[in-house]
Amino acid sequence: MLGACAAIAAGCGSDDGGGGGSASTRLVVSAAASMKEALTACAPQFDKADDASVKLSFAGSDELAAQIRQGAKVDVYAAANTKLPDQLHTDGRIDTPVKFATNELVLAVRGDSRIDSIDDLTKSGTKLVIGSASVPIGSYTRETLAKLPPDQKKAILANARSNEPDVKGIVGKLAQGAADAGFVYVTDVNATKGKVKAIKLPKQLEPQVTYGAGVVSKAAQPGLAKKFVDGLTQGDCADALHKAGFGPVP
Amino acid sequence: MLSVEARATVGALRLDVAVAVDPGECLALAGPSGAGKTSVLRVAAGLLRPAQGLVEANGETWLDTEGGIEVPAERRRCGYVFQDYALFPHLTAWQNVAYPLRRLGRRERRARAVGLLERLGLGERADARPGSLSGGERQRVALARALARRPEVLLLDEPLSALDARTRAGATRELAEVLRATEAPALLVTHDFTEAAQLGDRVGIIDAGRIVQQGTPSELAATPRSAFVADFTGAVVLTGTARTRADGLTHVELDGGGEVVSADVAEGAVAVSVYPWEIAIEPASERHHGSAQNRLSVEVLSMTTIGNRVRLGLAGSQPLAAEVTQAAVDQLGLRTGAMVTASWKAAATRLVTTTTGGTTR
Amino acid sequence: MRRPRWFGVVLAVSLAIALTFLTVPVVGIFVGSSPADLISSLGERGSLDALWLSLRTTTISIAIILIVGTPAAYLLASRSFRGKALVVTLIELPLVLPPAVAGIALLAAVGPAGILGGAVEAAGIELSLTTAGVVVALTFVSSPFYVRQAMAAFAAVDRSLLDASRTLGASEARGFLRVMIPVALPGLASGMALALGRALGEFGATLMFAGSFQGVTQTVPLAIYDRFSTDFDSALALSAVLVALSAAILLAVKFVHGGAALGGWQAE
Repeated sequence: MLGACAAIAAGCGSDDGGGGGSASTRLVVSAAASMKEALTACAPQFDKADDASVKLSFAGSDELAAQIRQGAKVDVYAAANTKLPDQLHTDGRIDTPVKFATNELVLAVRGDSRIDSIDDLTKSGTKLVIGSASVPIGSYTRETLAKLPPDQKKAILANARSNEPDVKGIVGKLAQGAADAGFVYVTDVNATKGKVKAIKLPKQLEPQVTYGAGVVSKAAQPGLAKKFVDGLTQGDCADALHKAGFGPVP
Repeated sequence: MLSVEARATVGALRLDVAVAVDPGECLALAGPSGAGKTSVLRVAAGLLRPAQGLVEANGETWLDTEGGIEVPAERRRCGYVFQDYALFPHLTAWQNVAYPLRRLGRRERRARAVGLLERLGLGERADARPGSLSGGERQRVALARALARRPEVLLLDEPLSALDARTRAGATRELAEVLRATEAPALLVTHDFTEAAQLGDRVGIIDAGRIVQQGTPSELAATPRSAFVADFTGAVVLTGTARTRADGLTHVELDGGGEVVSADVAEGAVAVSVYPWEIAIEPASERHHGSAQNRLSVEVLSMTTIGNRVRLGLAGSQPLAAEVTQAAVDQLGLRTGAMVTASWKAAATRLVTTTTGGTTR
Repeated sequence: MRRPRWFGVVLAVSLAIALTFLTVPVVGIFVGSSPADLISSLGERGSLDALWLSLRTTTISIAIILIVGTPAAYLLASRSFRGKALVVTLIELPLVLPPAVAGIALLAAVGPAGILGGAVEAAGIELSLTTAGVVVALTFVSSPFYVRQAMAAFAAVDRSLLDASRTLGASEARGFLRVMIPVALPGLASGMALALGRALGEFGATLMFAGSFQGVTQTVPLAIYDRFSTDFDSALALSAVLVALSAAILLAVKFVHGGAALGGWQAE
């Protein structure tokens, strides 16, 4: 019963339906919010090629993992890190995950901002928005900040004004001017089409951002699910990811 | 002295009235519902602004549309008793009565309020909420509340109509006493002529926004100026055509059959009115007794006991009503369906000329 | 004339379905974890912060709604004017807005880049990403719940009571305070309960407009969402508190209503 409720709650993240009529096979995909634009673009092509009807659900990767643990009926899980898929696999929730893309953590600011490096974030009064500790974007951010001298890290975190549950919340607040700066993926900056600009992080601070995906055990459509996951490394969706700015598998 | 003149359109009603009430006097406006009675009260109280109007109370001008004077309702010292009493449900009886007493301390307000309630026999109910009071008790609280501020003018909207018949008799007596005791001019409206007659020093009959006749209750009953007034004051009204007889009396051919004679003078289409208590009932027979010149053969349709009298609903070519004593009913062995003779004097038969096509209500 | 048997069965079955659907999730919250775990996870810092923040922001928000909304509702209930239908629709609009849309709307209105953003900044007020912003979001989404009920409650008060108040020498303002409000109180209280329940549970608009930061903007619903993936027991515990609070509010209102029916007017 709780699983059914969790499945209903799976609509907590934004829901994007793929195309396809009722005769085609339904495939439920839970994907990290940062892949929203890319996967929404390639899903119709997958639908056409494989006579499927992909139902995409975007939210923070941790949120989606929790739903799967609660028994949500999902076929594919694609996260913004490898830690969450590995944990799910250890717990027998998904089949062996594969790495399918990389991304880059950047400091994002509005197009007209005076901030041009991570040092500017220590200035008091700067409104910084980051991800919450349990969502990949948040843990990458903290991983990065941990590499800084403790005083600098403390000053920066003191300016954090919101711990967002997914990366799109950070982007939204940046775009609306509610925040001065935020740590997001370069792919998110690309998606704003110029409203927000990315400041690259120094090489030594950059975390390794690797995306992992797997077929959920007890998936309703394991065969089709495997096809989708494969398509993330090679195929329409892989192309879409690259177009959005995701990097290839290391 | 209260004087109210108003010309206004209230919904579908065209109001055009002018009334004056002396101090200590009670003028009762009686009329059917929709006649505009409540509107007159509301104009006096300042709750309704007429297109043209003049309201003067004890020397103060409360409203003068020509002169641009309008005193708002809250500054007129009116005691208004509403038709459904409008008691504040969240306040106790004494708190309701004390509501208008602003400048006094709490102790004095309660004392004054309870005193007023005691005078109306409600002392022990002072702490009760309106919801737990009976209809008659609520009426008295409303009255006490209206009197609390010693108002310049007393306005009463159907003060007795919400009461059941049994409570009404006592309440009427009480209200009449209160009205007698108060010096403020009182304007009362009701749909019941008997109530108006019992409470008002003068009665005005109001119909369709106009006052059709004013006078003492007996004047109105005895010399109604129109069929409507006659009917409204409780008479039996029959329609017919009149012509003067050689002996000076008027002969009336009743519509539908039958004839009566009247001492009044009239010609043409008339309304014939006679009071139920002036009609005697005799067993149906050919023989003529006494001086009553009018005799109609009628059937008894209904018998209603009112106190120690019995009201008989009768049917001839037109409906009639007669009031006789219970003893008479027993003596005559009256029962529904019986054929009897209704008789009354020509001198008790009033005629009112009806306008062309006029109908009695 | 006897009602057909099948109709009564349909009614009963509908009620049973509705009841089950509404109560099982609530029961699930309480059954999911042991009371000891629930209480201990409530005691940790983040949960306490969330509870205290929710309490503060909801109280301030409701206070604003009552102070501003009550006279506004009275005006709408007692007067008619040109464009009234439009005004009422505008006031009810947040009712039908999805919370996320409400959040965006607030950003577009009083966010830094919003139409009034400049004026707000010039006045030295910061709204987005602040506790004040939480209050704004709560007030925005909950006020229609109160105003609508208050309008209906005022409109249902017998006009003659106000007339009586005026003839007894009280100004309209005094009549409003001493007659209208007390008589309309049960309706006002239930409107307040609805608004309170809505404010306590508000999530989307708050997240969008004010963000989620412990102690500053992370109200109980946001805290529940945050803990969902990492500490499910904590999420359950907070949910249980919210359910209990909401139930308490509803019961309190029923009590007020019941009191009004017992000691006050009897239908005549």
